[in-house]
Amino acid sequence: MHVGMIGTLGLSLPGMLRLKASEIGKVESFNAMADAVIHIYLPGGMAQHESWDPKPFASPDYRGPYTPIKTSVPGEYVGEKFVNIAKIMNKLTVVRSMTHGEAAHERGTHNMFTGYRPSPALKFPSYGSVISHEQGSRNNLPPYVVVPNQSIPDQGTGYMSSAFGPFALGSDPADKGFAVRDLLAPKDVTSQRFDRRRSMLTAVDEHFRTTEKSDAIGAMDSFQQAAYGLVSSAKAREAFDLSKESDKLRDEYGRNTAGQRFLLARRLVEAGVRMVSVTFGGWDHHSNIKGAFDGLAPSFDQAFARLITDLQDRGMLKRTLVLVSSEFGRTPKINGTNGRDHWPRVFSVAMAGGGMKEGYIHGASDALGGEPDRDAVGPEDLAKTMYRVLGINAEKRIMSDGGRPIDIVNGGRVMTDWLT
Amino acid sequence: MSFRRLPLLAFLAAGLTSVGSAAPVAFDEVRAVFEGKCLECHNPEKTKGKLLMTTREGFLKGGESAAALIGVAADQSELVKRLLLPADHDDLMPPKGGPLPAAEIDLLRRWVAEGAVWPAGVVLVAKDKAKEEAKAELVQKLTTLEKLEIFPESITLETKRDFHRIVVFATFKDATTRDVTAFADLKVGDGKVAKLDAYSVHAVADVGSTEVVASLGGRVARIPVAVKEGHKDRAVSFRQDVMPVFLRANCNSGGCHGAARGKDGFRLSLFGMDPDGDYIRLTRELIGRRINLAIPEESTLVEKSTGAVPHTGNKLYDADSSYNQTILEWIANGAKNDAPSIAKVTGIEVFPKQIVLEGKAATQQITVRATYSDGTDRDVTKLALFMSNNDPVAKIDKDGLVRSGDRGAAFMLARFDVFSVTAQAIVIPKGLVYERPKVAEVNYIDKAVNERLHRLRIVPSETCTDEEFIRRVYIDVVGLYPKPAELTAFLADKRPDRRAQLVEGLLQRKEFTELWVMKWAELLQIRSDIPGNNNVPPFYKNALLYYNWMAAEIGKNRPINEIVVDLLSASGGTVSAPAVNYYQSELDRLKLSENVAQVFMGMRIQCAQCHNHPFDRWTMDDYYGFNAFFAQIGRKATDDPQEVIVFNSKGGESQHFLTKKSVKPKFLGGEEPELKPGDDRRRVMAEWLASPRNPYFARNVANLVWAHFLGVGVVDPVDDVRVSNPPSNPELLDELAARLTDYKYDVRRLVRDITASAAYQRSSKTNASNADDKLNFARAQVRRVRAEVLLDAISQITETPNKFQGLPLGARAVQIADGAVSNYFLQTFGRSKRESVASTEVKTDPNLSQALHLMNGDAVNDRIRRGQVVEKLIADGKKDDEIIRELFLRVFGRLPGANENKAISAAIAADPAGRRFVLEDTFWALMNSKEFYFNH
Repeated sequence: MHVGMIGTLGLSLPGMLRLKASEIGKVESFNAMADAVIHIYLPGGMAQHESWDPKPFASPDYRGPYTPIKTSVPGEYVGEKFVNIAKIMNKLTVVRSMTHGEAAHERGTHNMFTGYRPSPALKFPSYGSVISHEQGSRNNLPPYVVVPNQSIPDQGTGYMSSAFGPFALGSDPADKGFAVRDLLAPKDVTSQRFDRRRSMLTAVDEHFRTTEKSDAIGAMDSFQQAAYGLVSSAKAREAFDLSKESDKLRDEYGRNTAGQRFLLARRLVEAGVRMVSVTFGGWDHHSNIKGAFDGLAPSFDQAFARLITDLQDRGMLKRTLVLVSSEFGRTPKINGTNGRDHWPRVFSVAMAGGGMKEGYIHGASDALGGEPDRDAVGPEDLAKTMYRVLGINAEKRIMSDGGRPIDIVNGGRVMTDWLT
Repeated sequence: MSFRRLPLLAFLAAGLTSVGSAAPVAFDEVRAVFEGKCLECHNPEKTKGKLLMTTREGFLKGGESAAALIGVAADQSELVKRLLLPADHDDLMPPKGGPLPAAEIDLLRRWVAEGAVWPAGVVLVAKDKAKEEAKAELVQKLTTLEKLEIFPESITLETKRDFHRIVVFATFKDATTRDVTAFADLKVGDGKVAKLDAYSVHAVADVGSTEVVASLGGRVARIPVAVKEGHKDRAVSFRQDVMPVFLRANCNSGGCHGAARGKDGFRLSLFGMDPDGDYIRLTRELIGRRINLAIPEESTLVEKSTGAVPHTGNKLYDADSSYNQTILEWIANGAKNDAPSIAKVTGIEVFPKQIVLEGKAATQQITVRATYSDGTDRDVTKLALFMSNNDPVAKIDKDGLVRSGDRGAAFMLARFDVFSVTAQAIVIPKGLVYERPKVAEVNYIDKAVNERLHRLRIVPSETCTDEEFIRRVYIDVVGLYPKPAELTAFLADKRPDRRAQLVEGLLQRKEFTELWVMKWAELLQIRSDIPGNNNVPPFYKNALLYYNWMAAEIGKNRPINEIVVDLLSASGGTVSAPAVNYYQSELDRLKLSENVAQVFMGMRIQCAQCHNHPFDRWTMDDYYGFNAFFAQIGRKATDDPQEVIVFNSKGGESQHFLTKKSVKPKFLGGEEPELKPGDDRRRVMAEWLASPRNPYFARNVANLVWAHFLGVGVVDPVDDVRVSNPPSNPELLDELAARLTDYKYDVRRLVRDITASAAYQRSSKTNASNADDKLNFARAQVRRVRAEVLLDAISQITETPNKFQGLPLGARAVQIADGAVSNYFLQTFGRSKRESVASTEVKTDPNLSQALHLMNGDAVNDRIRRGQVVEKLIADGKKDDEIIRELFLRVFGRLPGANENKAISAAIAADPAGRRFVLEDTFWALMNSKEFYFNH
């Protein structure tokens, strides 16, 4: 249906607040190498041995239950279940020397969503919220979408206004009849009424808007503007409509939570969302790691590999950064219950597109996969590089509550080695 | 003083010709230039360019650019050369404010040419400009000096190592304070007993007593000094001296060697919680390496920390620092472990405890004194860790120097051993024109709040209007929006005590009880496991029975302490004795005891499960001692899966994570109770917990109630009571807790006090002084109304009943028993799922889904149609303005303004045939506006 068009109102989601937020000091500006990020997060801490950093020559206690397989990058292996990923390894940059010091889920997760260590004094914003703050909305779409739901507190806005918070789908793309609700005006509301409601709302909002001030009021206001943008744009709404994809492609991604979520993520960035934060599975495999991997890894493998080739086929890979991470890795030695425990000392992340090298391995863990052997990378390096790719200089400071300017990323390096 | 002239370099004589016949240069003139222009950098502390100009020897030795400052001819002397460089040259001296005036340059040239005569033994002292200025400024301020104090208030010196640093503290008539230690005239009464060295008092005699006297601005302060065994030495102790160095230098922090697996092959216990283990790791692992008894300086412990060899953590302190000296001395004495009888730290204290700094960059030294189990005390300022909870307001450096920033309040936390204490710092703008406003003081709440605001120089907002008040108390007290009839009745009420009367009526309504039942149900996590599978425990029936029990108890107006005792000591079946469901909401014993601490005492003790709490007082002993009360819970299944029997199993202990020993039950922050075998430990704990013997219970409940009404807790978040998160207004919280205890824990009476206070009745409109303040109750906070109350309000306003699982048609969302029962609206607007006890389970942040749902979803649009409110008003023959008035009263609780009336009338005039639609669109707009969603 056609609803009233409100094209003239400059519907950038956090526009107003962004202007208000003081920005401190000038930093060098970067040219963007990518327009969007798909951040695939595997909660629980995926074992590096069974995935990106297998140790084919270690003893079985360390190697784990699988036989690593060769990839399209000569001499490099991945875990046995990464059959499809092995074929597209020559499109990826894999970092095998990620390290940090947080062995608890919530603390490690915080590192990997913010680039900061958790602090008792300040809550830090997620990547997506920083991107919202810095770049705002595009094509009437929310700049930051979480798929399927915000299940992790660190996906939130931290010290920033909630105006920069994620839009959550509210239901799982893998569900039958998946649809994001409330995107269409009610059937009985004609475009004339829709417009009238809007002007009426402006009239009755005026009093409160001018007399009361709080961040929450401002945030609610900006979400209302964003909602109007989304509802008014058929194209924007279609980004959420998976049924517009062919059955064939949906099958190829896999008719499961990994496949459908990753496919929707692609639709969203294609339409203009800047950051899609997707979670998949539970990877906290303290016991029976083989059983767990047998269940989870194949759907991840299929969906991730298809996502990369799909982006490539559409010519989007160059301008879309795909990042796969987890809060930490797992212990090099198999434990007494045939699992692996938390291990932040060394683990892996994988990336593709957005100016990353193809078929590049950065750093290495030691022979057992227990410590970084060379070129260790911290969460702040990863964060800073990710922002760099999007054209955001992470040395910029953003004002937090109480007038305290905070670096987007504190320290860290732009890992120019990774970039083409 | 000898003024024997000393020809420094005979061959300089050649240069003499250039200065002609002028009289020889007097050294005092040179001295004035040096002291004023050069010594700021070339003093023993800075020695810029490795040049020291305070002594003749240092001057002659020269700096890194030239071996000596004196050249063959005066103009070739490095000193003169650097003075004569062009103004933009990098090497020009002095670097700031140079070049020197021609007369001074000429003076120095002549002095050099005459042989740079420097009387023997004369030592120059830099003139500290800042200090001079501060002194001049202080003299003015001293006319308003009210009190002069010395901290600590008495000193005992136990050995010849013992010392105490003093702080002289001035309080002025405007309540501001200053550190005047450097300006006061300081004396020790009897120099044969004790002496002062850089503001620290040391023993001179073996035994004796004297006093320290400080005088300033005509006032005198004295503190007694007692010396006991001032000639005795004591050996450096591992626990008392060495371990504190590890804490201070962050060696044993979580990011370094304190990590569970250590760092780079060396592990220390986190924050030093395990001295025995640390001793073994230091002395028995890699023998001879970490500790080298033969050559202490070559111990890796020494070499790494002083940066003599590469160290991932870099250099931590200088080789000649007191920290390194302690370690060296301990190793030189054989790196011995302490005897088991070694005195333990029993507490720490900071001085001064309250400071009020004026303007930016004012400083105040904080000192820390530790007391030990053998009755001695020590100054541990140099060993403590400092942290500010609000850096923009006041920072504190690692030696305890506070520096002010922006206006506001901050707490300075000092940590030593397992103890953390705070000092409060208030910063007010310099030269602020302020007069204490006359503000209403209704009861004890206002007394505490106003006093605090006065100290912060914040002027509170005006009182809110009656319209604002009725809407606010309805939402806060009963969780309802006032109906138009209730509004008009109240606004017509002219009694002076109408606000109190209104609250009184509301307190008697069942909705007041229901609101608090809901809040407790959140804290007690009353929920089934409905999503996905309705066939696993906890069952809906259990949740319902549990909720009904809670509702009945609160409905009877039983004091909350009695309810808590019944709850925590409950035994029986989950169906037949519903209170025991508390013990089914969390089966993990450690989590259970953490939850009890968090819900009933507002404390998060989780950290202490594995290590002593870094920012609070809790140790692992406290943790496992408290956990021991939950060690004897028995559970037994019956043939009805819904009925699980919870009973006192009379067996089981709490095992310490580190020592693996059983820990005796000990109240959290209290004593070890006498227990007989078989006693129900939970009952003993519950009877202590919910009683005045436990100071945290009443404080916690009072704070929960306060936060509900004011939007911000006195401690905030309410479930994060810790030393490093102190109450914003300690007097207020003390008083609220005392009253609640006096009221026999009757929450209604506390609500009466709070709603009556001027603090609660303030307008949300800000003024210049309180616009940035959110913590001191100077104005009402604008708060998003919580999800349940919003949905109930929509239902009431649109006359469309709600339907929730297990509840009759028309029930309110507030009445939902089970945390797992929800709907899209409640989820999206942040209703608590009761999955954890955290206060953050209830969310009021806006998001895009909410905006879309209000705009297009069934919550507003469908309900307007279903409820037919507008249709009925039209059918009743009401005029446009009557209908508009009715809608405004329903949704906003106020009358429409002229502009609003005009806009709506214009819309009706533009589409007279669609009058109903225009009015319904108005209704929709009201319910989409911010004014509806916020309590203000």
